[in-house]
Amino acid sequence: MIEDSESDAEIVLRALKKANITNTVKQLMDGEEALDYFFGNQEGLGQNILLYPKLIFIDLKMPKVNGLEVIKKLKTNEETRLIPVVVLTSSKEHKDIIEAYKLGVNSYVVKSADYERFSKLVVDTASYWLLINHPPEYE
Amino acid sequence: MNIKPKILVVDDKPENLVAIARVLKDLDIELIKATSGNEALKATLHHNFALALLDIQMPDMDGYELAGILREEEKTHDLPFIFISAVYTDNLNVFKGYEKGAFSFLTKPIQASILINRVKFFIEKHQQEIEIYNKNQELQAINEELESFSYSISHDLRAPLRALSAYSKMLEEDFLPVLNDEGKRLLSNIQYNAKKMGNLVDDLLAFSKLGRQDLKKSKVDVQQMVEHILHDLEQSFPHHARIKINAMTPALADHSLLYQVWFNLISNAIKYSSKKDKPEVEIGYFSDNDGGITYYVKDNGAGFKMKYKNKLFGVFQRLHSPKEFEGTGIGLAIVQKIINKHGGKVWCEAEEEKGAIFYFNL
Repeated sequence: MIEDSESDAEIVLRALKKANITNTVKQLMDGEEALDYFFGNQEGLGQNILLYPKLIFIDLKMPKVNGLEVIKKLKTNEETRLIPVVVLTSSKEHKDIIEAYKLGVNSYVVKSADYERFSKLVVDTASYWLLINHPPEYE
Repeated sequence: MNIKPKILVVDDKPENLVAIARVLKDLDIELIKATSGNEALKATLHHNFALALLDIQMPDMDGYELAGILREEEKTHDLPFIFISAVYTDNLNVFKGYEKGAFSFLTKPIQASILINRVKFFIEKHQQEIEIYNKNQELQAINEELESFSYSISHDLRAPLRALSAYSKMLEEDFLPVLNDEGKRLLSNIQYNAKKMGNLVDDLLAFSKLGRQDLKKSKVDVQQMVEHILHDLEQSFPHHARIKINAMTPALADHSLLYQVWFNLISNAIKYSSKKDKPEVEIGYFSDNDGGITYYVKDNGAGFKMKYKNKLFGVFQRLHSPKEFEGTGIGLAIVQKIINKHGGKVWCEAEEEKGAIFYFNL
């Protein structure tokens, strides 16, 4: 989960927990941390594809490096482009949606202002990508 | 802008061009000379003129013909002319497009003072037009800035709002059993207000989006639209108002925006008459003397004091408390914005506790 808002992150984690989705969630606080995590060599998973997540939730509006820049990197890199990326943002702006899709995101979900609706969106989306969807396997 | 206004002078005789230049030498202008219609047309490609002085009797292309061509061109179709003629003529038919813009006639021999005055008149007019154009551009830019500002504000307000509503809900989920009645009341007030603010933000967002939307006008079957709205309203919030629709006439308007106008006005009428024993709503139109159409929605509901009528169309302005009648106060602001966008007008008549009539034209 690449999300700079602590409260949104907390809502996501709580919703997943309540729905008994027990996958480990790695939380990255902005785009820079995300780039470090995926492409840096110091710490994080670096090039170790065994540690690639099954799903990425990513916010668009974040300090330093924004979500679209991270998505571009993820989707142009041969190794990471197979990871399903779901945009989770409050932006309904046409240009954001188009841009995200052009970069190859797998889903675009708009955060609801209502807590219960937001929680349900998170659970539904996560269930689909983790339980229903069949991802390609790394060789 | 300190650019000198440019004036095109066309005459086939060079000595006439020199004479005119001499007459106008004290004016703060730039003269561009041409000795034929073709040369003049070429000059219009390179310059933006404030005025053209055209000799009428020229070989190949005469002054009228040249003016006619200039009227057809987008770049010059507003260009004012002063025709200079050896003989007085009022035979305007030869000048195609004369009705499209400003022009004036002078006969030779030209009197210097008259020519100077005419030129000054047109130059002044041109400068005023430029000023108005610039002011308009400026206003438009400010308007756009304001709209994107309110859009981003309402966007950024959503995030903390979602946190507020989420944490109060989490508090309820995890700690309700240990809260006493007063604690529960306080919590529910937090939730109520977070929700209310959510509605305000949504409304503000809708309102600011409206400003950025372009009008797509088409012929709208108002009768069908109104019936459709009444059907929708019965589904979404049942009411017991008696609604009378008079025969309606079609309108030339943006379909979805006009739908919003009718929806807001009719749902208001139903809402504000809902506390009457026999709520009545009437929807109709009438033609003015000059053929204009005015639509109206009338109810016998709560009404309001006419001295407050100016507040009615403001954003988030309300004349009733949310306890009496729910709402954020965006509905009529939206109605007014849409109708203004159409170049129309909305107004109302009302009496407290007797009802209200809202009129609009497009």
